[in-house]
Formats: sequence, structure tokens, C-alpha cells
Amino acid sequence: MKIGWAWAAALAMVWVGGVHAQKKEISGAESESIQNGRSIFRVQCAYCHGIDADGGFRAPSLVSGRLSHGDSNEAMLNHILHGIPGTAMPANDIDEGSAKDVIAYLRSRSTKIAPPAGNVESGRKLFFGEGYCSRCHMVEGRGGRLGPDLTRVGTSRPPKYLAESIRDPDADITERYLAIDFGTAAPSYELVTVTTKQGASYSGVILNEDSFSVQFLDDNENIHAWMRNELKGIVHEGRSPMPKYGREQISDQQLGDLVAYLSSLRGGAQ
Amino acid sequence: MIPGWARRAWVVCWLGLLAAGVQGQVTNEQLLRSGELASNWLQYSGTYDGQRYSKLAQINRGNVARLAVQWIAQTPAQGNFEATPIVVDGIMYVTGQENTAFAVDARTGRKLWQYKRVLPESIKACCGHVNRGFGILGTRLFMATLDAHVIALDAATGNLLWDVNAVDYEKGYAFTVAPLVLKNKVIVGVSGGEYGIRGFIDAYDAETGQRAWRLYTIPGPGEPGSETWPDAASAARGGAPAWVTGSYDPELNLLYWPTGNPSPSDEGAERRGDNLYSNAVLAINPDTGKLVWHFQFTPFDLHDWDATEVPVLLDATLDGKPRKLLVHADRNGFFYALDRTNGQFLFAKSYAGQNWAKDIGTDGRPIPLALPAPNEEGVKTCPGAAGATNWMSPTYSPQTGLFYVSAREQCDIFYAHPQKFVEGRLYIGSVYMPPAREKDWGAVRAIDPRNGEVRWEYKELSAPWAGNLSTAGKLVFTGDIAGNLIALDAESGKPLWHLPTGAGIYAAPVTYEANGKQYIAIASGTALIALALAE
Repeated sequence: MKIGWAWAAALAMVWVGGVHAQKKEISGAESESIQNGRSIFRVQCAYCHGIDADGGFRAPSLVSGRLSHGDSNEAMLNHILHGIPGTAMPANDIDEGSAKDVIAYLRSRSTKIAPPAGNVESGRKLFFGEGYCSRCHMVEGRGGRLGPDLTRVGTSRPPKYLAESIRDPDADITERYLAIDFGTAAPSYELVTVTTKQGASYSGVILNEDSFSVQFLDDNENIHAWMRNELKGIVHEGRSPMPKYGREQISDQQLGDLVAYLSSLRGGAQ
Repeated sequence: MIPGWARRAWVVCWLGLLAAGVQGQVTNEQLLRSGELASNWLQYSGTYDGQRYSKLAQINRGNVARLAVQWIAQTPAQGNFEATPIVVDGIMYVTGQENTAFAVDARTGRKLWQYKRVLPESIKACCGHVNRGFGILGTRLFMATLDAHVIALDAATGNLLWDVNAVDYEKGYAFTVAPLVLKNKVIVGVSGGEYGIRGFIDAYDAETGQRAWRLYTIPGPGEPGSETWPDAASAARGGAPAWVTGSYDPELNLLYWPTGNPSPSDEGAERRGDNLYSNAVLAINPDTGKLVWHFQFTPFDLHDWDATEVPVLLDATLDGKPRKLLVHADRNGFFYALDRTNGQFLFAKSYAGQNWAKDIGTDGRPIPLALPAPNEEGVKTCPGAAGATNWMSPTYSPQTGLFYVSAREQCDIFYAHPQKFVEGRLYIGSVYMPPAREKDWGAVRAIDPRNGEVRWEYKELSAPWAGNLSTAGKLVFTGDIAGNLIALDAESGKPLWHLPTGAGIYAAPVTYEANGKQYIAIASGTALIALALAE
């Protein structure tokens, strides 16, 4: 059965309403624990996970009800205190009680997001077929290299973000990687146009640049390296190279399928 | 009875030792004359006045394009290499990350010794396991460590000579500062403004390590300034660290030391008041540790705007009147000129983008714009928490009469939320983060210290963290976060030469001379790099 957009939205509201209705009364002690957890969360966690824990510019949402490395209390406590090897998640210098307060805060904010309603297999076909997504994006070694590799995108981006990024790719243009140095940012996936002094023009993305040289990947995936004095112009376009996929390009149903497929991409994580 | 030949040999040996003792030995007198003794780099800012200017001119605007790498010395520790090396008679001494230190041959980079102090696992240091350098007197090197000790090492061997535990690091205290050595005293200021500490500046006897005095940067109950805190409890955890090396005027016998943010940095509900002596410069009698005067740049700060930028001392004529100035480019976005004899505010002028103050009033206090304080929803404020500049050293060239500063153009969204204080834990009162889709940038700006006017700027793609050096070759050396060491024309700001070092630069360059050759040295990544003109 095909469910219209408005219907889906209405159903979602009913569902969210149901969650609210089920919320139990919070006792004074619990409330204090949540408040303390919120306070500690902001100091220790918010910089990466977002001010309200729903995903920041460096780390995923912690309130989606679906954590890649396990969402039991034991797993979360372990991760908060000791970090997660192989990821950017560090150990936190807080005591166990404070860590439990952070978990209480996250639980208080957590609303189980229903898995995307779309069809994963249809989404996969769209991704590698008529959607042309794999022209620029790679999944498990298959696809293009101009845009971000999406092999694990289901662990790092919630469905809402993914849907927004497809309809409006300019809404958030991410960094290419997590910069290691304190106080620095990596280049982003922004569209850049370069014109050489010989008159050649290229569009693509920056791999790196400084005041003296530019390293560049053009939209045919050729790498260029120029000294700035070899260039006539370089324009940061302030938008993504990815086209906007409006309803004319993909229907809401197809969007749902695509989001379902992308959300399923967890690179082996559960 | 000792035979005659043995006695003669003994005397010759002692004479030899005495002669050798002069080489590599730094006296108080030499520290006072650091500027004239330009072949050495004897202290953090080069000279007591904090100018970071060298009279060496072999490398100049005409030949700087011929600068070439002479050696690279790799160090084992990871993290930001923020140290300023010191150089004495052909030997370079530098501290590294993770409580390490080294001595190398300043002509070849060959290591003479290395020192490592094993760090406790539970070390507190908000912003990296860094250190900014040694101080020296006689044949002793002084280092302030991350676990809050002050130590003396033998300059020839790296052997530990004395070791004093200044304070309990478990409570959030640490040292990252390069000590300032004057009048047989080793002066250090503490770090820990993110942990709710009570800041202080200490002086230790260079010979014995015995503490000569301690000046708390937050007054105790009943002391002058305590009225700027609501109660003793908030003052006792009020921060005001002192983690950047100060300056010294030997004629006035005044030590000038800058202080950092009040704690918690973003939340002010429990510390209403000016919060003295946070975000200030303190003029101190170095013999007694007594405060002579103070000037506060950002009263009741809510944006982490430490005033921990090197105070630069220079003399200039203002409105026809000769003045002994202390100039300071503050993290809050304003350049200040004070009369350093008495702390009188002379003028301030904005030198970087900011949206929080209309101006600085004639009383030296900011005239705020109608920008809300940090709150639950977040308030975009410029400059951001890293400030319009930061610890990276500015420089003043008496040759051009210009003050050069690394300026950062970046804003943050500041959130505030009450936080329970737990000793030894981060105590910030919420968080700040960069606004989405806003790219930071930066510049080296040349400021006329007589009026605060920006004469030129050299733009950088990202906000810098590198310090600056000016030389009599009419050059300014700086670094960018892309990793370039850059030489600028000190009069025009035009880039004349650069070297991609391969890692973002977080240190300030120095210059020295060995065997008649002028060198430029910089710490970058894990490496120390020295350059000179290609033969």
C-alpha cells in the first residue's frame, strides 16, 4: 500500500504522541540525576555529539535508540569511561556516578526512532542504478570517489539527516575527515571551481589547500596539484557538488527506500 | 706531598674548568643584556621586555629567498610542539610534549641528551600534554612540568638537580609555561582554568628550589579584590590561571604576568562580580611577590577569554609625551596600551572581528553591546573561545615601530548550564562550538602601538596558532596552521619566502648565530627545524 507523505507524517505524530503518553513520572532523585547528567553531557560530550545529543558535526546522535556499539547501560557506561577503540570516542575523566547520570539524561531524551519504512533492496537498486548516487559515493568499495564514502553512514547519521541531505545537499556540507590537530578543520566536500592561467576550467572538490598551493579532485576523479600562482581563479561555491533530488527526481517513496538502504549501511556494526 | 708536576697539572685543570665554566654559562647580567647578546636566544621571549625581536640581520629581505633547511631533529612525542627553544653558545635546549626535554648541537641538530619525566596516568591538562620551554641560569635549566613540579636540570647532561612539587596535580593543576628567570629566581604560573583551581604565580630560588613566594591570582577572604566574588567558595574555585610567561622591567623592578579565565568559564550565575584578578595583567615586585598594580581586560568574563598573551614592554611617545608602555593584544579582540609604571589605561582599539563590545571606555572597562550572555539555547559570540589571539607570541620591532600579532577570525556559539563543582574534574559550565558552515580565517596584523591602527595584514586561510619573531633584517617570521613557516616583509607584510614543514605550527620561531651563521629555528609536528642561508 502506498502511504502519502501527509499520512506518514500524521502517523508519525500519533506514534510520537504515544511515546509521550507512555512516559512515566520522573521522581525527584531521577530528575536530579538527569539534570546532573545534562550538565556533564554538555561539558564532556556536546562538542562532538551536539548540544542536545541528537548528533553533532563529529559524532552521531545518542538519542536515536540505536547505538552502533550497543545501547545497554553496561555498554554505554564502558564507552563513556573508557572510550571506543577504533573510533574518535575518547575515555572521559568522570566518575562512575556522573557517567550513570549522563546515561540517565540520554535515556530521558531517547525516543526510539522507528526504522525507516522504505524498502532496503529497492533503495540499494536506486543507489546503484537510476539514482546515480554511486556515480560519486562508494559503498563497500563500489562506486565513485567525489563524495563521502557511505559504507558506515547508517551508524553516523540519523534517517532524518539522510533524507535532508538527499533533498537539500547544501544544508550541511561535511568535512572530509576528522582533523587530528587541536583547533583545525579538514577541507570539506564543498564544490570548488578552478580556472588555470592557460584557461582550462575544472569543477570538483578540494583535497587540501594553503596560501601557496591547491590539491584538487575534479569531477572526473582526476587529481590536480597547482601552485596558486599557476591559477587565474579559484571559487568556493558555498554549495555541494551533489544535485538536489527534488520530488521530480525521486518520489517520497523512493526517498524512503533510499534512506532505508543508507540506514542499513553499518559497516559490520550492529 | 703532592709532586710539583701534579700541582701544576691540577692548577691547569682548574683554570681550564674555570674557562670552560664561562662557556655555556648564563648569568643574571647576561639575561639583562639578552637583546645585545643576539647570537644566543636566552629566554622565552628573547628579552625581558617580551619583544621577541633580534638584532641579527644576516638574513634580510634581500636574501631571505635563499633560506634552506640545515637540519631537522625529530622528537618521539606526539601532540602539538609549542615550545620556544633557548640557545646558549651553540647548544639548543628545548622541552617537548609529554614532559620530555632535549639538548642538541645548534649547528647539526645532533642530540646531546634527552630527559623524560614519566607522567602519571591521571594527569589533568585540558588542552594537550604540551610545554612551552626552558628558563636558564648558570648551567641550570628550569622546567615546569605537567604534573605540577618545578625542576632544574643540568645543562650539560640533563641530570635532575632539584625537583619541587608545587601543588597537587590531581586537583586539576598543571604547568605548561616556560619559566622566566630573573634575580636568581625562577618564576612560573599555573595552568588549570578548566578545572576550578585557584590560580597562582610562584617564584623559586634557582640554587635550591626553595619557594621564595607565591602570589595567588584570586584574593583570599577579606583581601582587596575579594569583594569582586560573591563568596569565598566561588573564589576558591575561581580559576585565573597564569600559564603564559610574563615580562620584566629591570629599571622599574616590576614583573608583569598575565592571568586567565575565571571558572567556570561559560557560566557566571555563581560568580557574579568582576572576578579579580582573572583576565588581567598583574604588576608584581619580584623580590617580594607583592602585587603593585593590576589591570583587568575582561571583567566577569563568560567566554574563556584568558588574558594569557605575552605583555610587550616598549617606550614610545603618545600625544607628545614619552611613555613607558605595556601593550597587549587581548583574546577579547582589543589591543591595549597601558602606562607600565602605574597601570594607567591609555587606549584600546579593536584589532579583530568582535561583536560583544561597542568600545573600551576611558576607564578601561568594556562598553558592552546588547549581546546576551551564554545561555541554554546558545549565543553566537565573536571572537570565539580561542580568542582573537591566544598564547602565540606577538613581536615588536623597534626598527619598524610596529607590533605584529597572529589574529584569529572565528566565532563560537556559547552555551551555559549550571554545573556542580567536583574537585579535579572539568568545570566549564557548558560548552561552545563553532557555528555550522562558518569558515575561520586569520592574519598577521601589524599594529602601530602608538594608536592601535592596523598598518597592514597578511591574510591566512585558517585561524593561526603560531607565534611571531621580528628581526633587524626587516623580517617577520610566522607560521600557519597549514604548516608553512613564512617570512614577511616587516614594512609591507608581503610574503617573501616560505617552507612547508608538514605539520600545523603551534610554536614561535627563534633566531641565533653559530660560527658566524644566522639560523632560524621552529618547532613543528614532532620536529625541530633549523634554517640558514644556502651557501
